[in-house]
Amino acid sequence: MTTTVSDTTPVPLAVGERTWVRPLKALISYAILFLLATMFIYPFLLAISTSFKTLPEINQNSVGLIPQTFTLEGYERLFSFNVGRWTINSALVATIITVLNLFFASLAGYALARIPFPGSRLAFLGILGTMMIPGIVLIIPMFIVLKTLGLLNNYGGLIIPKVVTAFGIFLMKQFFESVPKELEEAARIDGATQFQTFFRVILPTARPALVALIIFSFQGAWNDFMHPLIVVTTNQSLYTLPLGLALLRGGMGQNLLWNSLLAGSMLTTVPMAIIFFIFQRYFIEGISYSGIKG
Amino acid sequence: MAAASGIKGEDRERAIAGWLFMSPTMLIFGVFIIVPIFFAIYFSLTDWNGISPPGEAQFIGLENYRTVLAGGGVRQADFFKALKNTTYFALGVVPAQTIISLLLAVIVNQAWLRFKGFFRTTYYFPSITSSIAISLMFLFFYQRSGLINQVLSAVSFGNWEPLAWMADPRGLIHIILEAVGVTIRTAPEFVRSEVLGLTIWDWISGPSVALMAIMFMNTWTTIGTMMVIFLAALQSVPGYVYEAAQLDGASAMRQFRSITLPLLRPTLFFVITLGLIGTYQVFDQVYVMSSGGPAKTTLTVAYLVYQNGFANSNMGMAAAIAILLFIIIFTLTMIQRRITGSEGDL
Amino acid sequence: MSKKWFTFLLVALMAMLLVACGGGTTETTAEPTADAGEVAEPTEEMAAEPTEEMAEEPTEEAAAPSGDMIELQLMGWSSSDAENARLQEMVDTYNANNPGVNVTLSQVPDYDTVLQTAMAGGEPPDVFYIDSFRLPDYVAADSLMPIGDQMDDPDDFFPSLRQAFTINDTFWCPPKDFSTLALQYNKDMFDAAGLEYPTPDWTWDDLRAAAETLTDEEAGVYGLVLPADMARWIAFLYQAGGTVANDDFSAMTLDSPEALEATDFYVNLVLDGFAAQPSDLDSGWPGEAFGKGTAAMALEGNWIVPFLQDQFPDLNWGVTEMPAGPGGDATMAFTVCYGVAADAPNPEESIALANWLTGAEGMAQWTDLGLAMPTRASLSDAWLEQFPDLEPFLAGADYARPWQFRPGFNDVMNAFNSGLQQAFTGTYTTDQVLSDTQEAGTEVLGNQ
Repeated sequence: MTTTVSDTTPVPLAVGERTWVRPLKALISYAILFLLATMFIYPFLLAISTSFKTLPEINQNSVGLIPQTFTLEGYERLFSFNVGRWTINSALVATIITVLNLFFASLAGYALARIPFPGSRLAFLGILGTMMIPGIVLIIPMFIVLKTLGLLNNYGGLIIPKVVTAFGIFLMKQFFESVPKELEEAARIDGATQFQTFFRVILPTARPALVALIIFSFQGAWNDFMHPLIVVTTNQSLYTLPLGLALLRGGMGQNLLWNSLLAGSMLTTVPMAIIFFIFQRYFIEGISYSGIKG
Repeated sequence: MAAASGIKGEDRERAIAGWLFMSPTMLIFGVFIIVPIFFAIYFSLTDWNGISPPGEAQFIGLENYRTVLAGGGVRQADFFKALKNTTYFALGVVPAQTIISLLLAVIVNQAWLRFKGFFRTTYYFPSITSSIAISLMFLFFYQRSGLINQVLSAVSFGNWEPLAWMADPRGLIHIILEAVGVTIRTAPEFVRSEVLGLTIWDWISGPSVALMAIMFMNTWTTIGTMMVIFLAALQSVPGYVYEAAQLDGASAMRQFRSITLPLLRPTLFFVITLGLIGTYQVFDQVYVMSSGGPAKTTLTVAYLVYQNGFANSNMGMAAAIAILLFIIIFTLTMIQRRITGSEGDL
Repeated sequence: MSKKWFTFLLVALMAMLLVACGGGTTETTAEPTADAGEVAEPTEEMAAEPTEEMAEEPTEEAAAPSGDMIELQLMGWSSSDAENARLQEMVDTYNANNPGVNVTLSQVPDYDTVLQTAMAGGEPPDVFYIDSFRLPDYVAADSLMPIGDQMDDPDDFFPSLRQAFTINDTFWCPPKDFSTLALQYNKDMFDAAGLEYPTPDWTWDDLRAAAETLTDEEAGVYGLVLPADMARWIAFLYQAGGTVANDDFSAMTLDSPEALEATDFYVNLVLDGFAAQPSDLDSGWPGEAFGKGTAAMALEGNWIVPFLQDQFPDLNWGVTEMPAGPGGDATMAFTVCYGVAADAPNPEESIALANWLTGAEGMAQWTDLGLAMPTRASLSDAWLEQFPDLEPFLAGADYARPWQFRPGFNDVMNAFNSGLQQAFTGTYTTDQVLSDTQEAGTEVLGNQ
């Protein structure tokens, strides 16, 4: 049992096909995949293009991909705001939350999946249950708790309540359940403690799930709106990107300045896309790594 | 080392280790989630308006629950309308997003596939593009002369009658029934009788055109997330299992059914549960795109909670509806666990 | 009873924290300990004043001495860039002229949620915006201090606007600015159809006849754009001589023949094909359809002016007053006031700030952007000189009705809009719309 990272030989196409069937099938598959890709990315491309259009043009032709008059007025307005500060706040908060989430959620997820301790079932149901209450009804109580603990208008308030999420725990627990039991039994026989087993044996196998958790935690914190809204309302130097971008929209009326609004949403989307692109590679590396070993 | 004390010691060690591992979670959850939930439960038993300090609210017992479930007025009708809409929403979105994302995950996990990073990233894109930007884009697309109608018109060779999607309150089942000649006027008498504040005819409306538009958008934005979850799980299916099956001459379909699916069971339970929780709490898109209209056909339970709490100054009622929603989602999760055979996973 | 419960919850919270902190320091690894350390400090503060009511706490922060400075927080929603910047300038002016007071301006997104959370959480801002539609909810919650009559020359405010912030004969808060509904028309389309431009003495019949002439269904162009929105329909209700409820709001009055006449007129414009909803004109709201030239007329307020300037700079359009109905002239006034919290720690300074903002000096600075109109009659001549084209909006102040009802009236508006949407598609009769709304309103009024 040497595999530390589980390996996948992909599900093959059918066995025993004629030689020309394969390229044809591949061609059709790629055609469909590219079509799907277009469908998934078109709104994003349109948002980019619209961020470079003038307002009158957006109103006359809302779906054209090429701006007729290229303008930077959207970005000019965007950068007249304190976007640098908002971005730094968001990045800082999201990074800390992600790191702590990785640690706490995998600890709790492992305990719930693999340590049959008294009360574990109840604890899990409780954690799962917290996801089932609409968050909107909890914001005033949350505000009161934050105020009581002195966590309004500071980074602590932005970060501490979010360092472990039910989603993360649930994700890790479900993942650990699919890891073969033999792994840790072997470690236990060697006399490792629970904590050693977890750190040295289990955690390394969890790389795909940890990558998924990194992506989701970062994204969750990066896009969170309601929580920062109640924590830092009166202190604009602590605003995160989503809060700042809501300012761009303006409060009342229908006069949406589309170009700057979409320029702003590019500012939130592009960093996330880069993070995703970087981390999704580890899904692949997982395979090749174990492929060598296996 | 006596066997008995060894087992006992192991139990104790487990208990300590388990709770030790859980302690950071318990601390954070206890303070920032459990305490607010207890507040909310208490609020649901009061007439609190959500504006004055909560200590001043009057305790009124289960009155809010009675009004919502059996009050016979607008509040009851709204609640069941919202519950109906939300249920149609979940019935459409959960299966669609689960199946499509599983398929995509299997495909982008294939060894023969080139440009994996490209495909994965593009399929994930809707999940990361800011939801406000997406909602606003889709408002464009759903206009009468918008993109969606243009595409449908093209693929149906011009037979598609353009819809003003977000303004169309007609229910899907009503539309189908009308096509076969059944309307509220020609239907049998019993459909006009009221059950829980709505007529039977209203109950069976199906999702409205506007709601379907939001459902489609919601499916499209969540597929990427679900795909990544499945992808992570597929990575942990040991490759030798497939090799053995291939040697036995099992077809790809068969391998998928008898190897991949069973191994994905915990993940499937996870994805479906998340789907149920997410769809039953759908709020953002309604808030940005429709505010519950047209004709309350996109009014969802979570939006109703918001409306009561922050527009109607009736936070007690909002809390009661939130608790009811919790009970509904919890029950559905338990049922779902039985159906997917994931009882051992809890 | 309820106070006990509240204390219980607080004690439970503290107990949980203490247990958690104790546990954290002895058992867990380094990181959670750090967390526990961070939360430990505030716990001690709590222990010092465990039974204090939440609402009484803000005093502490506001009174915190930074010299002898009195800190005031002014909160409003984030609006257009020009307005946001102007308000900040005004606050700077005020701070410069009032040593001893330091006003901080917070312009926030999702204003209703933020304000309500701050109020309920016992941290209300000192001075803040309140929309006339939301006023009854805040008054019913005892969250406001009645300050309207403490303003300089309160009778100078237009009566319709004073009325918008008056409940049970108390004038709660001074209006900061207002908008009215008026009739916008596309000059080019009127010229092409050979029609005279609309005038203030237009009646419903003139409106309908012009809409009919201007409609070209095949070209997708309609005479008028009408939303399924109570906030527009209600002007017609008042023009017909109807009302929503009787004077003391003891009963709804939507079962009147006037209400039916107004609703029939409104709905038939759409059913007869002379008017269309924005959604049928590829638009999100009437202003957009009007800007795109798919509707020749719209009935919107002052907010359409900057919108058309920004998004449709080439449009050739004019504005006049709303048409008169069988019951005479009527329009709607949409207005916002500066409220002061009931338990404001520095009432005197807060009232002085509101007074300056709505007084001759502040109001003139605020409204010379031309976006919203001054609420003081004494300032209207100067404003008109500056913005003569916007005269029809200001003229509406004389016969405008306030957009203010009773707490929880949001439900009534939702019921009406829902019905009207169905009436526009022909699946609901106008009778049904009104009876549904009457019923919803009766329930809301009955709960008070």
